[in-house]
Amino acid sequence: MIDFIQVAVSGILLGGVYALLSVGLTLIFGVVRIINFAHGELLMIGMYLSYLLFASIGLNPYLSVFLVAPALFAIGVIVQRLVIQPIQEASAMMKVFVTCGLFIVLQNLALMIFRGDYRTIQMDISMAALNFSGISVSLPRLLAFAAAVLIFGGLYLLLKYTFIGKALRAVAESRPMAQLMGIRVQRVNMLAFGLGAALTGIAGAFLLPFTSVYPTIGSIYTLVAFVVVVLGGLGNMVGAFLGGLFIGLIESFSGTYISPALKEATYFVIFILILLVRPQGLFGMGKGTEEVGLK
Amino acid sequence: MKKLFFAVLALALLLAPLVIESSFVLHMFILIFFYIALSVAWNILALSGNVSLGHCAFFGLAAYTSAVLYIKLGILPWFGLVAGVAMALLGAIAMSLPMLRLRGPMFSLATIAFGEVLRQVAITWRDLTAGSEGLTIPFETGWLYLMFSSKAPFYYLFLILAVLSIYISHRLYYSAVGYHLRAIAADAEAAQSLGINTSRVQMIALFWSAGITGALGVFFTQYVYMIEPEWAFSMMLFSVQPVLNGIIGGIGTVSGPVLGAILMTPLGEYLRSYLGGLHQGFNFFVYGLILIGVVMVAPGGIFPSLVPLLKAKGWVRNGPQETTPSSPPGNPPSSKETSA
Amino acid sequence: MTLFRIDSLTKRFGGLVAVNNLSFQIQEKEIVGLIGPNGAGKTTVFNLISGILSPDHGHIFMDGKDITELRVHTRSLMGLGRTFQIVRPFDGMTVLENVMVPLLARDRDPHKAERKAFTVLKQAGLAALAQANPQSITVAQRKRLEIARALATQPRLLMLDEVLAGLNPVEVAESLPLIRQIRDSGVTIFMIEHVMAALMSVSERVLVMDEGNLIATGTPDEIVANSRVIEAYLGEEEDKSATG
Repeated sequence: MIDFIQVAVSGILLGGVYALLSVGLTLIFGVVRIINFAHGELLMIGMYLSYLLFASIGLNPYLSVFLVAPALFAIGVIVQRLVIQPIQEASAMMKVFVTCGLFIVLQNLALMIFRGDYRTIQMDISMAALNFSGISVSLPRLLAFAAAVLIFGGLYLLLKYTFIGKALRAVAESRPMAQLMGIRVQRVNMLAFGLGAALTGIAGAFLLPFTSVYPTIGSIYTLVAFVVVVLGGLGNMVGAFLGGLFIGLIESFSGTYISPALKEATYFVIFILILLVRPQGLFGMGKGTEEVGLK
Repeated sequence: MKKLFFAVLALALLLAPLVIESSFVLHMFILIFFYIALSVAWNILALSGNVSLGHCAFFGLAAYTSAVLYIKLGILPWFGLVAGVAMALLGAIAMSLPMLRLRGPMFSLATIAFGEVLRQVAITWRDLTAGSEGLTIPFETGWLYLMFSSKAPFYYLFLILAVLSIYISHRLYYSAVGYHLRAIAADAEAAQSLGINTSRVQMIALFWSAGITGALGVFFTQYVYMIEPEWAFSMMLFSVQPVLNGIIGGIGTVSGPVLGAILMTPLGEYLRSYLGGLHQGFNFFVYGLILIGVVMVAPGGIFPSLVPLLKAKGWVRNGPQETTPSSPPGNPPSSKETSA
Repeated sequence: MTLFRIDSLTKRFGGLVAVNNLSFQIQEKEIVGLIGPNGAGKTTVFNLISGILSPDHGHIFMDGKDITELRVHTRSLMGLGRTFQIVRPFDGMTVLENVMVPLLARDRDPHKAERKAFTVLKQAGLAALAQANPQSITVAQRKRLEIARALATQPRLLMLDEVLAGLNPVEVAESLPLIRQIRDSGVTIFMIEHVMAALMSVSERVLVMDEGNLIATGTPDEIVANSRVIEAYLGEEEDKSATG
């Protein structure tokens, strides 16, 4: 019984991380309406930046967040402006190709710079764990989970109460209407992409204490993020959070009770199943899903 | 005039191995033929607007089926070919589930996941596939064993495969199925209301596309006589490359992927051996840039964009276009057309 | 001869009842009009008939056969043709190829289809545009292409969804004889229209919908005099004057 709870707890903590990494994706999708195949690469960049700061000046990743977030924000804005915006009106096929190209470029750039090795950081905290009557709770994962909750909370408040949040929601609801209201949609798109990228970068910094970074780590996380986001409903924040937890639990249970090697295969299969059985996710469709091919 | 050109080309291609001594050059030809066949096969499905990034699944499924049957049960590759293609078609049935419910990027995403799952399975199912260590095809030469010590027979084999692939694609393109695929790509719902069974037509395209890819998987594995999961289910090599070739040459035509493959394969090899050697990943980095660049600058493909330019300069005259059937009704289209 | 019958057809979207318990018949070779204020549910009815939407309740009969469960393309093959309010030509294919597509669904020979398509285009007055791209022709020509393409399906019942919208009066006047010609060649016509005068002059019978309900049927003269119909349209106008 204890084991079961342990697996469940690990799953929830893992889920928090997945939620953190997926919130950026669902935000970007909700506003810009693009399926970004290079999303995981943003996480990878965040992780490498954090790693470099740690390796060179010994900056604690939890502090490097304050540098990584703005850096990724800038990168996100640049990507949106230079790569996505020119093809915003192009066919769906073209958008797939461009973001795929982006994913290939970024991943191989990392490969060129860092070679194929796994980079890990060692901190005192990496191995620390709290113990609650027999259930071990890894401290870095707990911190990541806490960060996820804080970020989601902050995002919720941002979207609900600030002007920026309202602009984001307006564009997410209806691009033409937002334009008619005088909202500079292109600026909002850049903002959304930048914000989404920054959030993903933060996720990377929080992942680093307990995950090794390597150039191709992006692909796996892109797919996880998509599974989470589709499960939760594209563009749906709450859905992304709950979806993340759900996938974390699935991975934890399948890794323990089925096979660790197949845990990725497990959630890909789930992904395909969700797309077939309930493509609108657990929490219903956000807007714009027809554009990307869900019915 | 065109007939003469093609006759000379055909003759040159047939005689080349007798004249060329360099193993490297022959290898390059083999690679080009292989990628022509693969890109054309991928394009058959892309005609319907379904961009698959999971074709490596068909390649790997068929390749492993044939290899395992040969190594474990001694079944000759020719029979392995049949079994392999059958497996690829089973894979196609699996892919048809997302294909018929999703469009665009979500479908592409599902296909990536499909290829990934199979790759993971191949790595994990060590009893069957020996995992990441891979398998080696026993070296027995002769047409019976589909393995040769020199490159020339492989040259002819892949030349035939390329021609077959182009032929099948051409026949499909100019048949009712071809028109319907293009209609589906443009507007599937409108196509349905005109009486087209869109599911059935897409399945036809998928089966041909997957089947040819699977066959190529079997043959190519015989050529390199080794197989391991990262290679057989490589997204870059067998999913992205045909896509890139198609984009460069122009998706939605028969000759587009052919031209793309002819251009990109030597370029890719050059990038891999010179740049890849300098820096791991440099070659794919350049691929990615090319992909982005072409889509932004010439979304219809480099070659189709060049045609109006060349026409303006008088280099190219009007001939039967590939997007329309022969101009006077009743004339059969010529069997090999370029896009001008 | 009753060609087509709808029985208690109902469709809801969430809480909104778009089509409420609709029943009517259409006889062979009739030209029947369907009118009603915006949002009355007319295009929803078309989508239900052609199969793009499934009804929550009710049945659709063609030639006495229940087609309610049939898929979209099967209904088309049975002789149910339609045009779309916002035309949907196939991009990347020429005008000629657009017409070939439905022909090829019935006879797989591309050469025959090409010849037949030329004939259809000639009848629609579009022969000169055979090699043109649908994006480069005028709206009126695109509408005629839409009709030509639907005609190529050899329909028994042709549903026209606002084919006159966006046309200037000259173009409208040119289109009406075409519609009568189509009917005379044996095709039953069911058309949604807002261009009232034109619809009334060409229809033999008119159905009127309002907020999902069928509120009146009759000849054009009867409909024009029907108080419920007037109320449905004018009711709109009263609201308009109240706010603006």
